[in-house]
Amino acid sequence: MTSRALIAEVFIRALYAVLLFASAWLLLRGHNAPGGGFIGGLLAVAASSAYALVLGSREALRRLPLGPLPLAAFGVLLALLSGLPAMLIGRPFLTHFWFSVPLGVTELPLSTVLLFDLGVYLCVWGAIGGYCLALVEEIEEDA
Amino acid sequence: MLFAALLFALAATPLPWRFNQPWIPSLGVELNVYVDGLSAQFLLLITGIGTMVFVYGSGYLTGDPRQRRVFVLLTLFMLAMIGAVVSDHLLVLFIFWELTSVLSFLLVGFDHEQMASRKSAQQALLVTGSGGLCMLAGIILLGQIVGSYSIQALIGHAQQFLADPRLNLALGLVFLGAFTKSAQFPCHFWLPNAMAAPTPVSAYLHSATMVKLGIYLLARLDPAFGELLFWQYTLVGVGTVTAVFAAFQTVYERDLKRILAWSTVATLGTLVMLVGLPGQGAALAVAALFFAHALYKAPLFFVAGNLDHGAGTRQIDHLTGMRRYMPWTAAAALLAALSMAGLPLTLGFVAKDAITFAKTQAESLHLVSYATMFVNGISVAVAAIAAIRVFWGRDTVPRKAHPHEVHTSMLLPPLSLVALGLLFGFAPTLIDPLLGAAARAMAPGFNPDTVASAYDLLPVLEATLGALLFGGLVYLNWDHLHTLLDRIRHLERFGPEAAYRRALELLPHLATRLTRRLQHGLLPGYLATLIGTAALLTLALLILARPAWNWPAVQPLSISVLGAALLITAGACAALVVRDHLVLLLVSGLVGYGSAVLFLFTGAPDLALTQFAVETVFVVVAAAVLLRLRRLAPVAGAAPPEARLRPLALGVALTFAATLTALVLLVAGMPFDSGLSDFFNTQSLPTAHGRNVVNVIIVDFRAFDTLGEIAVLAFALLAALPLLGITRRDRP
Repeated sequence: MTSRALIAEVFIRALYAVLLFASAWLLLRGHNAPGGGFIGGLLAVAASSAYALVLGSREALRRLPLGPLPLAAFGVLLALLSGLPAMLIGRPFLTHFWFSVPLGVTELPLSTVLLFDLGVYLCVWGAIGGYCLALVEEIEEDA
Repeated sequence: MLFAALLFALAATPLPWRFNQPWIPSLGVELNVYVDGLSAQFLLLITGIGTMVFVYGSGYLTGDPRQRRVFVLLTLFMLAMIGAVVSDHLLVLFIFWELTSVLSFLLVGFDHEQMASRKSAQQALLVTGSGGLCMLAGIILLGQIVGSYSIQALIGHAQQFLADPRLNLALGLVFLGAFTKSAQFPCHFWLPNAMAAPTPVSAYLHSATMVKLGIYLLARLDPAFGELLFWQYTLVGVGTVTAVFAAFQTVYERDLKRILAWSTVATLGTLVMLVGLPGQGAALAVAALFFAHALYKAPLFFVAGNLDHGAGTRQIDHLTGMRRYMPWTAAAALLAALSMAGLPLTLGFVAKDAITFAKTQAESLHLVSYATMFVNGISVAVAAIAAIRVFWGRDTVPRKAHPHEVHTSMLLPPLSLVALGLLFGFAPTLIDPLLGAAARAMAPGFNPDTVASAYDLLPVLEATLGALLFGGLVYLNWDHLHTLLDRIRHLERFGPEAAYRRALELLPHLATRLTRRLQHGLLPGYLATLIGTAALLTLALLILARPAWNWPAVQPLSISVLGAALLITAGACAALVVRDHLVLLLVSGLVGYGSAVLFLFTGAPDLALTQFAVETVFVVVAAAVLLRLRRLAPVAGAAPPEARLRPLALGVALTFAATLTALVLLVAGMPFDSGLSDFFNTQSLPTAHGRNVVNVIIVDFRAFDTLGEIAVLAFALLAALPLLGITRRDRP
């Protein structure tokens, strides 16, 4: 990138963190309110894309944990693993379990569903994000 | 050299010999394996002739680097044939049947560097393959009628189903399969062309075994359906026409191998005719002719191959007096010819005997009798050509190479086969049990005594004498007949082979025209075709189904819904006017956002969120692609097509819009089945611990689907990586 947009560069760093935080929030609240792994993942993709448009795809790729393909593969693996505990005790694959971790005043609800949703989130982020970044990279090369 | 060849032959043959064991009637080796007299006879032929072919092939293909390939294919073919004749299950039989077709294709196309070879192989595969498909349909239909695919069950219960109206169709389809396989008119033409294969292959596949598979199936089903008039008339008719037609064609040819091929077709026709004839005598005749034909035709093919090797040609015009150079081959040819002509004390005579008896017993039509006499006469003439004309007579024709006798490994197979034929001819009682068992499989009530008591030598001798006289005449006038027939050669234009060729040429032509018409490369054209088709199909369904129209209850418009509708409409209208691709993308995004707003205010916040996210990401991706494209082809991208009204496109668009509107109104007016949503609403919290029903469905109720979807997503990235080159980090 030859020309730099300074204001956008400063702004995007903050925005990136905010967007990622929002996507994680969407992911976590998904079970009881609008949101979920898929929407959260798409928001994360939007964050990555915006980052790439301003700071370049290489920077955005570096910010993508594990890199696109491993991230997507890890997501699928996570979702797959979340279904395995059920098989260990003889229930059908992908039967989910819920636990509550008491934390004094409140309690933290955990479940294999969360693991599954996290897998969806990571897969969407890795796959679609990787695709977007690759396209942005193509444009950068021509410019 | 001789030792090496013999060793190789021995190495190649233990497999066939191992199968060559004494057979047991009704031996149930496995559930679906059924070996009775008929199967046993075939097994003997397949393995016995197979062994000879392996021995012969080791000599015929000495030094040829492709020898190993031929042996592998031949072994596979032998296994397929064995599988076909021992399986009791019609579908298993079909699989082996098709396997033999495929192997035949590979073997006919052995000389794949030659155009003619490839064409013949393709022809053989297309004809037998399409016949096989018809047969599959027939088998399935037959299985549905009878309720079982077992041949024995079919024979056992067939009587109850003879009146079924679907039976004729099923049998007709099975006939198509059997006729194409056994080269019956009008699908006969592939067999003479299949002579492009090496001689051992021709002798084995296209004379002794594979082409008889169709007749095997017919003979198998004969006890079940032999009483049907449809069965009898079709088989007798087609068989007779084939035999006579092929006998005529024989006289056309000058190539010894093709002459033998046509006479094989004639024999196959006779066999089909015999299967169609009712009565026990016919069953015995089929069995005897099977055997006799294999024992004389295979040696004759070997002889043709020997001539090819020893004298360098198979054209009968260039071959006379070869006995001086190839005495052993001449002996084999002579003995085989004796059997083919049906002279007394040969196996051919036994077969002819049985045929004559079958016809007197079945009281067949006179026309059929005359046809058989004609075919027999031509057989005599062919036998005389192969044995006398080629090997005796004066050695007058000038030739380039000095003819020589061939290798022992190429002499032993024909000699031992004709010796067997002679042995059985002298002492027919030796094979009586085998033929009787085979006949019993075709005609369950077969009793050798009734046949023996009704036996009368006189008509047989008469028939033999008649055939000899007629055949002698044909033989003496062979060249005259040939010139005569050459004059009507142009009639071939109307024959089935010409029709096949035309059909084959028409296919790519049609495909090209269709492709030109459909794949014109204009994106708006594709879009119009797609949308127009969808609209017309929906419209047709709507008109045909005539659903009850219930006008949905009109609800007061809220401001939010109105706003969303305005957003959508504005986006759509802008898309009509804007010509720049990037702006077009943005305004079409408006439509998506409008839909999201609509979802948001009609109780689907999840959907709305997803729609927002998807729309945003889509616009980013599409914009990136567009930018890239514009840089790749700046001229095409810089000049968007000028805006003008296309009446056809407008019509398509309006029709589609009207259809969709009608559909939506119709669905909205229908009573809403809330069963599913009720289930998810009530079950979501107690069983899945979640209040967000949509998310619970995605991650819990339908988690397996979601798993599949994200896997697809990951794989899509995997597929896109090489295209986008994301992995090449170190690019300049």
